Formats: sequence, structure tokens, C-alpha cells
Amino acid sequence: MSLLWRNVFGQKTGDDSLAGFLGSIPLFAEMKPRDLRQLAALVHPRDYDDKETVFSEGDPGSGLYLIRNGRVKIFTRDSSGHEHEIAVLEAGDFFGETTLVSPAVRTASARTLEKSQLVGFFRADLLDCMEKNPRLALRLLFGLTRAMSERLHLADRELKRLHHALHELQAEGQD
Amino acid sequence: MAESNGLTRGHVLLFFLVMTASIASGLAIFSSASRITELLHTATTGIVLPVLLALVLSFLLEPLVRLFERGPLTRTASIFLVFALVASGLYLAFSWLSPHWAEMWFSLRTDLPRYLGRGIALLKEAQARVQEIFPYIGGFDLPSRGRVLAERLFSHILAQTTGSALKIGGLMVLVPLFTFFFLRDGQKIVRASVGLVPNRYYEMAHDLAWLISRQLSQFVRGRITEAAIVGLVVGVGLSVTDIRYAPLLALFAGITNLVPYIGPIVGMIPGILIAMVDLGIGAQFWWIVVVYLLIAQVIVDNFILIPILISHVSNLHPLWVIIAIIMGGKLYGVLGMIIGVPVASILKIVIIEIRYYRQTFALPLGEFDS
Repeated sequence: MSLLWRNVFGQKTGDDSLAGFLGSIPLFAEMKPRDLRQLAALVHPRDYDDKETVFSEGDPGSGLYLIRNGRVKIFTRDSSGHEHEIAVLEAGDFFGETTLVSPAVRTASARTLEKSQLVGFFRADLLDCMEKNPRLALRLLFGLTRAMSERLHLADRELKRLHHALHELQAEGQD
Repeated sequence: MAESNGLTRGHVLLFFLVMTASIASGLAIFSSASRITELLHTATTGIVLPVLLALVLSFLLEPLVRLFERGPLTRTASIFLVFALVASGLYLAFSWLSPHWAEMWFSLRTDLPRYLGRGIALLKEAQARVQEIFPYIGGFDLPSRGRVLAERLFSHILAQTTGSALKIGGLMVLVPLFTFFFLRDGQKIVRASVGLVPNRYYEMAHDLAWLISRQLSQFVRGRITEAAIVGLVVGVGLSVTDIRYAPLLALFAGITNLVPYIGPIVGMIPGILIAMVDLGIGAQFWWIVVVYLLIAQVIVDNFILIPILISHVSNLHPLWVIIAIIMGGKLYGVLGMIIGVPVASILKIVIIEIRYYRQTFALPLGEFDS
């Protein structure tokens, strides 16, 4: 009887369900369980093979990908076709978020390093959500803005550090 | 043939056997394919109209459903609420109008031959006048041709009333049913079919599907609203005169307005004919012409409605309009003539969206992919 109850009415909890996975991502930390369930209906889980291209540099970009499991390599190509690795991302990471709000081409390529499951969330879904469920869209955008500003802070700090290093080098050169 | 000197009788025989077999199987495939398309056509004949109407209705009702869905209601509950609202609205309108409509319908059946006879007489007069000026085009018997055409049309309408009652009954069951499922599961259906696209192109397909469906719903809503407002304007304009059947004429003008260029002209013919026969050519007649041409078409439709409601993306070249009307008429009769042009516009929207997408982003060619 309890098995039947769980099958019919029970909701999967924890990392098993898509909603649980989404809740573990810092991007969606603000969300309540109900929001997460609605979000789980919006996103697109896709299974990728080993060494499958997710997107290439120059593709039209329209959203972000979350890694549910597996690993993804982010890289660029120089003019001779050599690959330069930028990062290897693992389960729980996300990439491509810069194109979610404003349409732009992808500035790097992404390819899986093993069999992976990625969860796509695209601009069309966000726009739909803004019309249907503005509260959820607000929380989504808030999380996204926070993640972006954290990255901006990091980039800013890195830039300052480089700037100082450059100054010191120039000062040494003058001496 | 480099190795022709090595050909034996066995090779030639084998070659002929293979050729015969491939020709025979080609023929078999061709005939079975045409048989399959024939079956498909037969199977879908009854379903095209309800599906199309249900699609249009679900596009129209979607904003209302979304409005309720934003509140505490689930989607299914809000669809039921919208259905209940529409049904009660229709019931009220019907119970208020049906006595008038029945009366109008019966008197129209007796009046129609009179109008047609008068129209043919007018045609004859016009032809006699033209022949006075150009005597060498005497051979063509326009009036009797017109009479044959008109009589055929009239008997067709009479014969169809019983058949169409049955058809309408079927539609009244099927259309709400289809509309309900399109409203409830439409997005899931689109999502599932887009989901079949390979990973590499999924993002693009998803984006395109969204863009196209947004354009489509705008187009359908815009066209229907435009037709309704034009019909309303004609109805109001006609009802200040003494003309009979003003509501029917307004309905006709609204429906024909769905077809660009040709529709408005066809829509005004019965009104002008009835005005000419019943009212004579006088102040009221010219007012009716002004209502049809200047007020409804030029001012309301061209200057106000089309710029607001219809994006120029869906504009078709007049040539395509005529081709779409003829092809639609061949496929599904009068109904096909009305829906042919919107369907052509929809195809154009799909093509334009894809092209626009390709121009904005140079699409990947995929030759680097490993």
C-alpha cells in the first residue's frame, strides 16, 4: 500500500529528480521547491555521447547548459585549427549563460569528454516563463544576475592584479 | 566501359536481371506510394476542417487561458473556465439572435432568385450598352452564362442546407474537443517533436520553433480581429440604411475579408446588388458603396487595422494570393479558397523566419565537427 502511495503521489526527492538537481545549482539557490518543480518542466535534459559537440564557436547562442553528469571541455580554436582549452567543467557547473538574455554568437566551443547528460535552458523558455509565471522568471533572473556579477567581480579583481603586475614590470624596466 | 572485353554471357544476363528487378521494384514502389497518398487523402478529408478551426480557435483563446493560468488555477482548470465562458457567451448570443436569423434565412431563400434575376438583367443591359460601343464582340452570351452559374449556385445552396446541418453537428463535437487538446498539450506536442532533433541542432530548432509559433499566433489573431472589426464596421454602416439582411451581409464581408485583395471585392458584391435591386440608385446606394469601399476598406482596414495588427512579414504578392486561392479551391472548395491564402502566408512566415535566423547568425556548417 505504501509503495502504491509513493508511486502515485510521492515526489522524488533529493538528487534523483530533476528538480532536486536544479536546486543544487547555485544559480537557482533562491528557489523554493514549488519553483524548482515548475523550472524542471521548462528545462530540456539531453543525453550526449562521448566527444559530442555541444556547440561550436560562432554558432547562434540562445541559452545555457547545466551539467547533470559527465564532463565538458570548453575551448577555442586558433586560425590554424588548433584547440586551446579554456576549462573542463564537471557535474553541477553551467556554461553559455552570457547568451541567455541577449542574443549573441558563441565565443567558445564546448564538447563532452565522456557520456554526459546536459540540461539546456534557453532564451525562448525564459521569455515564455516571463509571460506565464513572472514570479519564477524574476527569481531566475535574480540568480542569473548574481552569478554574473560575481563573475564580473572576479574578472575585475583579476584585471586589477594584471594592471598592477604590468605597472611593476614597467617600473622595473625603467630602473 | 573499361572491362567490356571481360564481359561474359553470365555478366550480361546478371546485368539485365538486376535492371529488370530494379525497374519492377521502382514501379511497385511508385504505385504503392501513390496508393498510400490516395489513402492518406481519403483519410484526412473529414479531419482538415475541424483541425484547422480548432487550431485557429486555440490561437485565439490562448491569451485568455494564460491570463487565468497566472492566477491560482492550473492550465486544465483555466481551459475549462475559458470554455465555460465562451459557451455561455455563445448561448446568450444564439438565444438572442436565433429568431431573427431563422426569419432572415427563410425570407432570403425566397428573395435570392429575385436578386439573381435582377442582377442578370442588369448584366444584360450592361452588355447591350457595351455592344453599342463595340459592336464586334457580339458572340459571347454573358447573361445566359451568368444565369446558369447563378442557378447552379442557388440549387447548390439549397441542397447543402440539410447536409451542412449534419456537418455542423459533427464540427460542434470535434472542434471543441480538438481545441481543448491543442490548448492543453500544444506546447508539449511541439516540445516533443522538436526534441527529436539531434543534439547539435536542438538549440537552433528550439529557438526557431518558438519564433515561428510566436509569429503564427500573432498572424492568426491579427487576421481574425481584422476580419471581425471590418464586419462590424460594415454591419453598423449598413444598419443605418433601409437595406435588408444587413447582419448577413456584414458576416459575409467579414469572412471574405480574410482573403486579401480579392476577398473585399467579393464581399461587397451581394451588398451592392441587394442595394441596387431594393433601394435603387440613390443617396442610400451611394452611402452603401462608400461604407464598403471607403470606410471599411480604405480607412478602417488599410489605414488603421493592417498597420496595427498585421506585420508586413506576412504580406503576400498578389500573384501568390491568386495562386493560393485557385489551389485552395481545387483542394477543398469554397472553404479552401478562404483558407488557402492564410495557409500560404503561414508558409511564408516560416520561410522568412528561417532566412532571417540564418542571416542574423551565420549557421554552422559542421565541417569541423569530429
